[in-house]
Amino acid sequence: MPFQQGSARTRQRTVLLVGIAVLLAALVLAVVLASILTRREQEDGPKMLKWKDRGTTKNLQEVILGRCYNYVMARYPELRDKDCLKIWDSLKHAFIYKNPCNITSEDYQPLMELASHPIPCNKSLFWSKTNDLVHRYTKSNQNFLTLEDTLLGYMADRVSWCGDPSAPGINYESCPKRSECESNPGSVFWKMASKMFAEAACGVVQVMLNGSVEAGAFGSSSIFGSIEIFNLNPDKVSEVHIWLMHDIGGPQSESCLGHSIKRLKSILEARNFKITCEDNYR
Amino acid sequence: KWKGEGTTLNLESIVVGRCYDYIRIVNPAVGEKNCLEIWEAFKNAFIGKDPCSVLPKDYELFINLSFHTIPPNKSLFWENNRLLVNSFADRGHRYMSLADTLFGYVTDFLNWCGQANSTGLDYESCPTTEECENNPVESFWRMASITYAQHSSGVIHVLLNGSADGGAYPVPGFFADYEIPNLQRGKVSEIVIWVVDDIEGPD
Repeated sequence: MPFQQGSARTRQRTVLLVGIAVLLAALVLAVVLASILTRREQEDGPKMLKWKDRGTTKNLQEVILGRCYNYVMARYPELRDKDCLKIWDSLKHAFIYKNPCNITSEDYQPLMELASHPIPCNKSLFWSKTNDLVHRYTKSNQNFLTLEDTLLGYMADRVSWCGDPSAPGINYESCPKRSECESNPGSVFWKMASKMFAEAACGVVQVMLNGSVEAGAFGSSSIFGSIEIFNLNPDKVSEVHIWLMHDIGGPQSESCLGHSIKRLKSILEARNFKITCEDNYR
Repeated sequence: KWKGEGTTLNLESIVVGRCYDYIRIVNPAVGEKNCLEIWEAFKNAFIGKDPCSVLPKDYELFINLSFHTIPPNKSLFWENNRLLVNSFADRGHRYMSLADTLFGYVTDFLNWCGQANSTGLDYESCPTTEECENNPVESFWRMASITYAQHSSGVIHVLLNGSADGGAYPVPGFFADYEIPNLQRGKVSEIVIWVVDDIEGPD
């Protein structure tokens, strides 16, 4: 018995020693790993700013390039001279490494110049609060073009982007909402693109508005109401046709005789445009 | 040399871009896909080959990499009304037509072919199906149609054109030759046929 106890105790002791050695090794490893990781984090520098809206679309470059080539080659071959690589580059440089609350229209000027193209007269179709309907319409009736049917709008639709002063310069985690700061990359882009789209319009232009919206079909805080109507050129544009649409089975909050439509008409008439309005244009 | 249009310019950028567009924006529910691998598999199906010797099964790897399930009751088959189907399906919101799947989305409306003994794409011309059946584009859509039909389930819909010359149900046709034979009896509960006439077209 004592002999067996002796060997058992030795075995126990060995096991204990081995266990302690393993624990020590694990501890050392953990400390080493932790120091490597924190050093790497410190080398990366300051963290990126945090915002409330979704971050830059992943694979933005591939998406934008693919859309640019798709638009030019497959849809509008007459734009074959457009250099999609340069266009992507000019978009990237508009926001990369910049604080996303400090974006200006100058930042987008090169992109706007490279990607803009003439719009045939009588084909411009503006819209407000009718996103779904207006784009289904232009997909099946290629006689009209919304901003999202131009190269600039087509590339940027449903995509988001913003930069950050720290590497790698693009923030994929979050981007500022308009409520956080107005001069963010997305808002500045769409304001500029809308302004140029309005400036390029000629002949008869159309606008599709939503007569089922409680707040009124025409709003002066919308992009249409604050930017587009003021950038239509009276020397180029002769008439504005309003298409006032109601949700199927929805309320008829406003018709062509409505309050906000009257306001829109007076603003346009003051700028010398002829106006017509049609309820539920077909 | 051939009678058909040549390869679409910037084919690689368009296919890769559409792939990312699909997984990031159009239908992120399909999860992560390796778009560069998908392009390679697609290209290797026809690059360096005589464009009259490309078979549907050459696209097997491409299909495997780009495959995702088709939600039950959402399949929409069609003949002779491509634009109507596109807008009716609404990019998968209402129905998921073949062009609304990843494997159909990346190549819809594009054209491509290679040449024997060359690693390049032929931008000059590509064979039409009349010139030879086993051409890259025809074989692609045959493989894609077979796959689409095999994985359709529940109530399936087919939209036919009642104003088409020769009748609403064309034989031969993709639906007749590659889709109907590959519908799975155990998966499909019902087939709903819609015959639609062109507005102001013949009945």
